[in-house]
Amino acid sequence: MKELTYTVAAREALDEEMARDPRIFVMGEGIGKRGGNFNTTLGLYEKYGPLRLCDTPIAERGFIGLAVGAAMSGSIPVIDFMMVDFILDAMGEIINQMAKMQYMSSGRLRMPMVLRGCIGIGGAAATHHSGSYYSIFSNIPGLRVIVPTTPADVKGMFRTALRGNDPVIMLEHKNLLSNKGLVPEEDYTTPFGQARIARAGKHVTAVGVALTVQKCVQAAEVLAKQGIEVEVIDPRSTSPLDIATILQSVKKTGRLMIVDDAFEPCGFGAEVSAQVGVHGFDDLDAPIRRLSGAFAPTPYSPPLEQEIVPSVETITKALYDLVKE
Amino acid sequence: MAVEIVMPKLGWTAEEATITEWTKKDGELVQRGEVYLLVEGDKSVNEIESFETAILRLLPDGPKVGETVKIGTLLGYFVQPGEKPPFETAQAAAQLGGQAEPQASTSVAADAPNPNPDPYAGRDKRGPKISPRALRIANELGVDWQKLTGSGTSGRIVEADVQAAAAAMAATAAAKVAVVQAPPVQPVAVQAIAPAPTQPVARAMPAASNATRKTIAARMSQSAHTTVPVTLTTEVDASELFKLRETLKGEGAGRGAAQLVPSYNDLFAKLVALALQEHPALNASWSDDGVIQHAHINIGMAVQTERGLLVPVVRDPAHKSLPTIAAEANRLVEQARNATILADDMRGGTFTITNLGMYDIDGFTPVINLPECAILGIGRMVAKVVVVDEANPRRAARTAIRKMMVLSLTFDHRVVDGAPAAQFLQRVKKFIEQPYLWLVR
Repeated sequence: MKELTYTVAAREALDEEMARDPRIFVMGEGIGKRGGNFNTTLGLYEKYGPLRLCDTPIAERGFIGLAVGAAMSGSIPVIDFMMVDFILDAMGEIINQMAKMQYMSSGRLRMPMVLRGCIGIGGAAATHHSGSYYSIFSNIPGLRVIVPTTPADVKGMFRTALRGNDPVIMLEHKNLLSNKGLVPEEDYTTPFGQARIARAGKHVTAVGVALTVQKCVQAAEVLAKQGIEVEVIDPRSTSPLDIATILQSVKKTGRLMIVDDAFEPCGFGAEVSAQVGVHGFDDLDAPIRRLSGAFAPTPYSPPLEQEIVPSVETITKALYDLVKE
Repeated sequence: MAVEIVMPKLGWTAEEATITEWTKKDGELVQRGEVYLLVEGDKSVNEIESFETAILRLLPDGPKVGETVKIGTLLGYFVQPGEKPPFETAQAAAQLGGQAEPQASTSVAADAPNPNPDPYAGRDKRGPKISPRALRIANELGVDWQKLTGSGTSGRIVEADVQAAAAAMAATAAAKVAVVQAPPVQPVAVQAIAPAPTQPVARAMPAASNATRKTIAARMSQSAHTTVPVTLTTEVDASELFKLRETLKGEGAGRGAAQLVPSYNDLFAKLVALALQEHPALNASWSDDGVIQHAHINIGMAVQTERGLLVPVVRDPAHKSLPTIAAEANRLVEQARNATILADDMRGGTFTITNLGMYDIDGFTPVINLPECAILGIGRMVAKVVVVDEANPRRAARTAIRKMMVLSLTFDHRVVDGAPAAQFLQRVKKFIEQPYLWLVR
């Protein structure tokens, strides 16, 4: 094991896979010589050259369409978006082509590609650079949506994405990028659709996504001092979603809170809530609660932008209230 | 909640029976006490009546009229108005299950609890709120949650409240071993007797014990809700009875094991039966036509067994010798304890005695074993310093150490009034204090 930051762990995965598989190439704005706005490709340009680290103009729809064609014809494109908000300019290509092509071709065409970018609020990046869009993409059949939270997971899941045949959207929370964690030395992959129990507990289940997993663990530490044991679950991928692990936890605790930065309506929390409502109804000892980002465009003001997403304090209080309900 | 209708066991040795006729149709409302099914057993056609007012729902693919099926075969359900029987909700669940997300379906099927046929059973819209989990656990543990109060900020009854109530129930159950289980009207109910109520209530109680507990609960409630119970207590000097038994014991020991020594319960069965002969008002039942006095006197004896409390019946002890009663009671108790007792041996009682003396209980308030009119609770025999010869003009009052015991007679005031009940108890007291009064008969 070695200690790496989230960014370095993801970069290692990309580097190692590019070395292993010449079909892999990266496209994006400023990911060439510059090494990416978040250092996602730092040093790779020197190693693999301009063909495999291909800087693009600001034309998302164009280069995603290009990448879809490349994937169909045998390459493995990785599109690095910096901020995943920019991906929205190419929704038609993503939903109508990338996600549907394997189905439309009866599986004769494959779509091995990875769209990656940062999500989340942080650093006063304002509303065009702060979105968390896992709910939107999880609503589309044909896409894999992964939200790794630890350096080990991002490396293992990125590898799984690069070795598979499906289009994967990899969402990395800005505030997780500099987190350090132990990463295995050996060649390993982390499967999709398998949740991780970030902290075991028995009084209430908290399901987080990306940064809120970390916040839930911090809230759990506060509550542990009051004798409340929170079980924190990190689904790691929102599509496929490992509902079984969540149900198992709810069976134990009887109480469930879903904590995420994204908007509440028709969101990830609603999905988990609905599934637990169906399959875990008789295990529930209290209504399922959600704690989500405010249903509003993200403000620029640094204090305000922190206000509109769940914080360790609001999570702690909400979990406490749920346990006492 | 849907109640299963199964092929009843019409005799102890019966293994199967034939559906002769459904006297009520599928979907029809059956009043409590109405016959809904005719069943042919080994010897005769039996009318099966409903214990509650409910809607009859027949299993669509169940046994047909004329078909002979094993005892216990599911025939249908009794449901409440608006309630769906499990075979309809199961279909709905199966259809829903087909649409479940493929990635989740396998593990969900493995982990999900058995779908409750009706999770809202008993949920009164105006009643207290209860969480689904707490409701499920309340049903599992047989807790009457309607009487609970939610402890949380929402006021909703949660699992912790139900668990606390179950723990309290377990504690009172231990104290209430005196409660007598009414002899079942149908032999089918006899087979599944609940485990001893003193067992700690565990969350994963088997479903069978639940059902039996419900049956017991229903009978106890019936007694509590229909009778007008009054309990009279009196302290008696049992020294003579004690002496009598010690003498019999000594005599019995001399003759070896062949001679059974009558137990105190045997003595009580006999003397209570003789007292009832003189006070037939207590040997009666209430019916819609008024009081029925029974011609015969059969004494039920409450026996604690591993399966729960049973009440075997000694027939006509008034006309039997003590050794005969002892032999009969011995056999019945033995059979009750090893679960081979026949249903017939637990029917037909006209009066019950229940003895908690061995548990150091003095007075208590036993529950009347319907349709009987009264039950006599016998307390422990304990040496006490008492004043004797106080009323004897020829002797000076003095203190003495005597074997004292408390009798608790609970009677149904609908059937008999307080004074005759007290006179009966007085007579029992006298028979205990002066056994030769009845021994010479």
